[in-house]
Amino acid sequence: MNFGYTPEQEALRREVNAFVAEHVTPEVLQDKEAQDDQMHGSGVADPFGPSMRALYGKLRERGWLGIAYPREYGGQGGDRISQYIVEEAFMRVGLNISLSGSGAPAIMAAGTEEQKRHYIPRLINREITFALGFTEPHAGADLAAIRCRATRDGDHFVINGQKIYTTSGHLSSHIYLMARTDPTLPKREGLSIFIFPMSTPGITVRPLWSIQNEPRAPLGTTYGEARTNETFFDNVRVHESTLLGGENKGWKVAADGLNLDRVGAFRYVMSIRRDEDMVNWVKTTGLEGYADNPAIRDKVAELWIEAQLCRLMTMRSMSIVQRGRDFSYEGSAEKVWAPEHGVRTTEAITQMLGPYGQLLRGSPHAVEEGVFAHNVLGAFQSGVNHGGVTIMRDQVARRGLGLPAMRRAKAAAH
Amino acid sequence: MDVLLTDEQEMIRETARSFLEGECSPQLVRAMEADPLGYPPEMWRKAAELGWQGLSLPEAYGGSGMPLVYLGLVIQEVGRAVAPLPLLSTAVAALTVAEAGSDAQRGAVLPGVVSGDAVLTWAFTEEDPRLRPEAIAMVAVQEGDHYVLSGRKMFVDDFVAADRCLVVCRTAPTRGGNAGLSLFLVDTKAEGVSHTPLVTTAKDKQSEVVFDRVRIPAANLIGRAGEAWPVVERMLDRAAALLCAQMLGAARKDAEMAFDYAKMREAFGQPIGAFQSIQHMCSDMVIWIDGGELLTYEALWRMDEGLPHQVEVSQAKAFCNEKCLASARNAQIIHGGIGFMMDLDLHLWYRRIAAWGMRLGTTYEHRARVAAALIDRPGEVVLGLPVPVEAPASGALAEPERQVA
Repeated sequence: MNFGYTPEQEALRREVNAFVAEHVTPEVLQDKEAQDDQMHGSGVADPFGPSMRALYGKLRERGWLGIAYPREYGGQGGDRISQYIVEEAFMRVGLNISLSGSGAPAIMAAGTEEQKRHYIPRLINREITFALGFTEPHAGADLAAIRCRATRDGDHFVINGQKIYTTSGHLSSHIYLMARTDPTLPKREGLSIFIFPMSTPGITVRPLWSIQNEPRAPLGTTYGEARTNETFFDNVRVHESTLLGGENKGWKVAADGLNLDRVGAFRYVMSIRRDEDMVNWVKTTGLEGYADNPAIRDKVAELWIEAQLCRLMTMRSMSIVQRGRDFSYEGSAEKVWAPEHGVRTTEAITQMLGPYGQLLRGSPHAVEEGVFAHNVLGAFQSGVNHGGVTIMRDQVARRGLGLPAMRRAKAAAH
Repeated sequence: MDVLLTDEQEMIRETARSFLEGECSPQLVRAMEADPLGYPPEMWRKAAELGWQGLSLPEAYGGSGMPLVYLGLVIQEVGRAVAPLPLLSTAVAALTVAEAGSDAQRGAVLPGVVSGDAVLTWAFTEEDPRLRPEAIAMVAVQEGDHYVLSGRKMFVDDFVAADRCLVVCRTAPTRGGNAGLSLFLVDTKAEGVSHTPLVTTAKDKQSEVVFDRVRIPAANLIGRAGEAWPVVERMLDRAAALLCAQMLGAARKDAEMAFDYAKMREAFGQPIGAFQSIQHMCSDMVIWIDGGELLTYEALWRMDEGLPHQVEVSQAKAFCNEKCLASARNAQIIHGGIGFMMDLDLHLWYRRIAAWGMRLGTTYEHRARVAAALIDRPGEVVLGLPVPVEAPASGALAEPERQVA
């Protein structure tokens, strides 16, 4: 049991923070904003601006990309904690350079040697990105109920169906798709994962606008995305080599991948950023009596303690990954605690701000560019996507504690 | 960075668990609630053979010199079994003697603790239950080579069982950074000492102790007269962190009983554990208890590393007070009516978890200390970096950080 960084990791933390302070310039952040702006458009040649590209070049030179991935796949062969340290430093200024959510952990876990050699280096360097094609209009929490079909035709599959909330689908180079390959099997057993280019003929992407559109959320908002998509597959023909983890093996590949994707700096920083904002606002507001108000002090401390758990649960997940162990329920537990905490803090600070808490970006008198108001619109979304908190609680209870599934017999309906 | 238990730590925990599963039945726990002494001396001696009393005491006095994290793991198992052992009171007092006592005092006290021959306890709280130096009214007046102690202590653990008690007294008024407190080692059978048992929800052994002109040799003063506050403050913090471990052990076992019950009890043609309303209660319980463990062991680890730890202790105790009780309350609700019955053992855990959350700092007190560290010091806070603590007003929960020696 060790809650500290090694001297080498601590030195890395300082070095990365100094780098961020020096190199993450206003130009880089404008580039990132411009990239986000393209979420409004449809289709884009280069989701990276020139400053972001240059920044990635510097990260590559320093060996800070894909630290925990093996060298033969373009990584650094280092430890997961060091990779986390780098990811956290960039997340704190609003740049997500992590590979959580990228599909890379799932490819490392389930991919063929050829897939690893092809995809991992390109994902590490952000030459390619994946859009996640899991959810369908009628199948969200009950993911195994998806209907999108992949029908075998020799050594190819033909895909037909619709996906929804394919965020970044219009910017991504590839889709990471779950489809039904065998409708005769029980619903979790007939599923497969495919990875193939978004440029494959037969794919149509249509925008869906979130409540963060008009005005656009400022950088650093928890779920500030203005746009997501629905994506249609009309006789999309892909080779069987696009399967990840084998035919009809998709459920386990997806479940393991989701667990690994939840681990890391991205969700952690999203869940705690408003805690720091809240404390620092109380300290500097200058409104008479705020910093001495016992109710506010008690609430600030309560939420700060909760935020420590976001950090410690992240560290626990890191420790599990570092040891090469499988998750039992820990990833799901983190995915309950952190999003709900983020919401509680968001709601608390808007109660401290009062009517100023409602002012969105661009409004006269908006506080911190309206980030708190935009967080009210976005924070709960972390408790909804990538496995909502109700489903995550089911998983903790069933996988972690061994509680039984509901009997489907008539008795249940009495 | 690896917050999971090492193999060695797992082994310590497993050994403690299997020992207590063999030795400590709910029948024994019930019997000791009615017993005036409150603990089985035979089990205490066996615990000493396993090295529990000396686990984190210096090797020079027969102890094992292990980090507090290890002691926390054992005390967590004691909590799991709600074992009626005076281990927490003895360990807290002994660690303070080890830290602040003279060679002679250590030599006189610690070997007996390690061997299981002695039980210790300590007394801070008086009428005002807050953990701050101003709450101490009990006086010690020097008369030649003796001190004369007069006053009243409250909520003293295991006083009947204890041979010696560390007593916090006032030898000077609180003023200007000097809390004026001194720490004495007192024989519990000394002339002028009397005690009255308190009847608590835990039905554990707490006493009100009256010291009526108790004469003790000046050689029993621990450390320097009037300067005991930093030592006392560390004693309070260690006690609070170890009590968290004890609460968590109890809360985990209590929760497991509810999980088992939910798998077995049927309603509406299902085990009730198949209903999401029950599953979600259970999942919150395990999240809270895991969370309390992470906070508590980070605090203990920081003590072992000699790092500032006051904020971490307060984080852990504030969280455990609320969440261990919330978990135990859920366990009661899952059990329904039977959980209210004396015949079922569940209340042995619920009553203790509730009581322990009221001791060694309430949720509000500990949050106030966290808030002071965050708000009353200039500069931006960053989560994940240590929160520096500066000295504002007086008070145990608002004093400067001092590193553990």
